Amino acid sequence: MERIEPIEKYALKSSSDSRSKSDNFTKIGIVGCGILGQEIAKMVSSYGVDVVFLEVSKNKITDAIKGISRDLKSMIKRWGMTESDKRAILSRIRGTLDYHDLTGCEVVIESVKSRTREDSVDMRKRIFREIEKVVEPNTIIATNSTTLVITELSAELKYPERCVSLHFISPAGEVPLVEVARSLHTSDEAYKRVCRFTRLLGKRIVPVVESPGIISTRLIAPMINEACAILMEGVAEMYDIDDTMKIGYGFPLGPFEMADKIGLDMVVRWLDNLYREFGDIKYKASPMLKKRVRANLLGREAGLGFYRYDEEGKKIMPERHETC
Amino acid sequence: MKILIINSGSSSIKYQLLDMNKKEVLTKGTIEKIGMQGAFLLNTRNDGDEVKLIGEIVDHQAGIEYLLGALISKDHGSLKSLDELDAVGHRVVHGGETFKGNVLINDKVIQKIEEVAELAPLHNPPNLKGIYAIKELMPNLAQVGVFDTAFHQTMPEYAYMYAIPYSLYKKYGLRRYGFHGTSHKYVSHRACELLKVPLNKQRIITCHLGNGASITAVKFGISVDTSMGLTPVEGMIMGTRSGDLDLGVLTFIMNKEEIGVASANTLINKHSGMLGISGVSSDMREVKEAALDGNRRAKLALKMFSYRIKKYIGAYCAAMGGMDIVVFTGGIGENDRSTRMEVCENMEFLGIKMDKERNNSVRKKEGIISSDDSLVKVIVISTNEELVIAEDTMDILRDHNLT
Repeated sequence: MERIEPIEKYALKSSSDSRSKSDNFTKIGIVGCGILGQEIAKMVSSYGVDVVFLEVSKNKITDAIKGISRDLKSMIKRWGMTESDKRAILSRIRGTLDYHDLTGCEVVIESVKSRTREDSVDMRKRIFREIEKVVEPNTIIATNSTTLVITELSAELKYPERCVSLHFISPAGEVPLVEVARSLHTSDEAYKRVCRFTRLLGKRIVPVVESPGIISTRLIAPMINEACAILMEGVAEMYDIDDTMKIGYGFPLGPFEMADKIGLDMVVRWLDNLYREFGDIKYKASPMLKKRVRANLLGREAGLGFYRYDEEGKKIMPERHETC
Repeated sequence: MKILIINSGSSSIKYQLLDMNKKEVLTKGTIEKIGMQGAFLLNTRNDGDEVKLIGEIVDHQAGIEYLLGALISKDHGSLKSLDELDAVGHRVVHGGETFKGNVLINDKVIQKIEEVAELAPLHNPPNLKGIYAIKELMPNLAQVGVFDTAFHQTMPEYAYMYAIPYSLYKKYGLRRYGFHGTSHKYVSHRACELLKVPLNKQRIITCHLGNGASITAVKFGISVDTSMGLTPVEGMIMGTRSGDLDLGVLTFIMNKEEIGVASANTLINKHSGMLGISGVSSDMREVKEAALDGNRRAKLALKMFSYRIKKYIGAYCAAMGGMDIVVFTGGIGENDRSTRMEVCENMEFLGIKMDKERNNSVRKKEGIISSDDSLVKVIVISTNEELVIAEDTMDILRDHNLT
């Protein structure tokens, strides 16, 4: 007959108590489960770690789970994983409306989307405070935002030394690189722990000094903006500009494809934030971007941005004008 | 002499405690879901006492600590104290070219295993975790590394090299290494023991057929060729692995399906083999059921599976200038009589003559399945990798005068 007993009483006397739970990563929280949140959830879970994500409504939770499922299915279709991998990954992901379910997480990553900058900062500050109420004092609290600085977001916390900016680049599961920025308050211990966490996820860590846009956003946003200027001046067709960067410089996506993938509203918000921080005209969002955002042509997710997309999110190639 | 065998995987540890004087297993067990929710340790003593310990197991070290605790516990243990342990034998998957035999582990050896890990990124690092843990918990206890690849280090250069630019071999150590070494070694020895023939005069083909499968040509006691290569994907058709494949197929798929290296790897390791062909399952039993129900692809998968083995037996027979014994082992080799029959059918020209009745009666036990007048003896052996690891560990201890 098999008996069940608690394992703790079998610990050896020589047991090293120093290896406390905080050295391990078994449960990760995500606040806001849009596209990038879903990618992070999927990736973290694929490493055998439990994920709890917080959303604002039941519908959003269902949407997020559906989105993750859809992504996993397409990975199977493209030979990237198996049915049983998918079941295992999904079994470790759970959505919630209640902050208290984040209790016990070793890391909580904020990954929300917001409309305006003011909204964005205030909302994130509030989220950080809510997270702090339910987690341990040494739980890492991270933001995935790049254009907002972590010092500002964490300033009002009781233990700001555990906050970092942890910037995953989409698709988070496939891009093996993360930018990790510390704030003025971040402790060495917290920084080291978050680096250990990201290494566990198989990522190359790029340490950055806190700065709006850090590396990735600060380089990609102005490139998209400049591509809009080239298009607006009538220098070349959109697809030719994209091809030039893809074929010419080996970019996986051209600037317009990239903008569509990121979401035009997001690109505009990045540029607005950068413009506000640096005051440089090069960050002033192109009217081509703004016009589209106003018309709700937000990119791939919306089905229409610079390009048109089918239901599976595949780009529909526009008719080319043969001129040569 | 009491030896603990540890087989440490990415989130699991299998273990066995053996009394080598009596050649008996005292306790065996498994630890699952290390570092995850729902982790547990299942310990089974040879008198039937079974206990499941549940709770947090943060890492391999914690797991091993609990397993040692269980081994000396009053209710479920087999040892009075840990001092009774003479050594720990670790299964290490890849020994590269560095480890031609098994070794007593010290810091230098650990460093070498770390270096070799590049060749087996999924297997060696967890194996190392087991070694680190014992080192930390019982620094004075002898530890021995037993490598899956070591038995095949006797392969001649012309058998282990790939016909790719030689510089790549020099740069990365790209060559055939082979796996399941402990199993091939054990069953070839055991077959000779049962048949009462000298190992050093036999040309043996050992077929280890489980979810992973490999075939080895053991000539006069040493491995001269084996079907797995740098990684376990080469050779036989397996549960989910393709086995031998024209490389052009892979580059074609990568190009057409627009997939990268990681997905290509998953494709040949997890989507292929019996599962890929049949579309039913990677489990032989389920494929068989489907074939009985008339599933055409399941039938095809079974046919392909045995055909590949047959081809290799012919090849290794040629490579060794003949054969004296064919051994079947592993889950499929030990239990699946129809696969054995199909593989050995129409091989009279090579000296194999099966005895249908014997073949039908051998299941989950050892036994000869060829007829008395068969020139080549065909025999089923239950593999026992833990025992080989324990014996190898003993050998190393003796070599170092530690017994």
